[in-house]
Amino acid sequence: MNEITDRAILAALGRQMNQAVQRQSVAAGNLANLDTPGYKARTVSFGDVLEDELQAGAPLARTSPGHLGGITPADGAATEVEGLAARRDGNTVQLDRELLNMTRASGEFGAAQTALAAKFRLVRYAINEGR
Amino acid sequence: MSTLRGAIDASASALNAQRARIEVAVSNIANAESTRGPDGQPYRRRDIVLATEPVESFDQALGRAGASGVRVASVVEDTEPFRRHYEPSHPDADAEGYVAMPNVDVPEEMVNMLGAARAYQANLTAIGLIRDTIQRALELGR
Repeated sequence: MNEITDRAILAALGRQMNQAVQRQSVAAGNLANLDTPGYKARTVSFGDVLEDELQAGAPLARTSPGHLGGITPADGAATEVEGLAARRDGNTVQLDRELLNMTRASGEFGAAQTALAAKFRLVRYAINEGR
Repeated sequence: MSTLRGAIDASASALNAQRARIEVAVSNIANAESTRGPDGQPYRRRDIVLATEPVESFDQALGRAGASGVRVASVVEDTEPFRRHYEPSHPDADAEGYVAMPNVDVPEEMVNMLGAARAYQANLTAIGLIRDTIQRALELGR
């Protein structure tokens, strides 16, 4: 089993925060369009990103050693949510659903932030030689 | 953090749009009995048209999921015919004694205003949540 490095943990926490931010942005956009006729509620999907993460360790193939290795995309694409009931004006935004999404994203962000802060505290501890 | 700024921009644009909606509803109610407008005609009920507008082109250019805001596309006049009241003593009555009244339905405007107020509140809540997230991010620097 691979050893989990500090760097990997920091990167993963950073990604989690990034995703929470994107979820929150998209939910805010949905809320803003609560009354726009024909607007379809959007969501961010990170399924492909997770797939990439599971394959991590196998770096991108390079045709020349001078090329950069590439970065794992941590950005999801916003897609329209399927299967939501549309109102008479074609709008599919549900107020409670979006507020719930925002609160959930806020919680995820907070969790990652707490973990990251703990990590940084350890680093600081090491820098200050335990003082 | 650029996307969170975009999210606040989106919510702020919605606050603007909902405020415009309330303003229009209020002016409709205020003019529910105005039989003389600037053009000599009774007041016509107004309605606003909302349209989606991307707030942050930079995120979209990167293929990232960004927030989409909203804007007031236009203010349109209701084409419904005027209400006709029988009131021969009214200065604007026609030869048969009927007065053309604005096509404003006050209960409908009240419902409209309630909807706008709720949406305004929801967007304010969203801004509060985004602010909390930014606050948490800033705490990392302590």
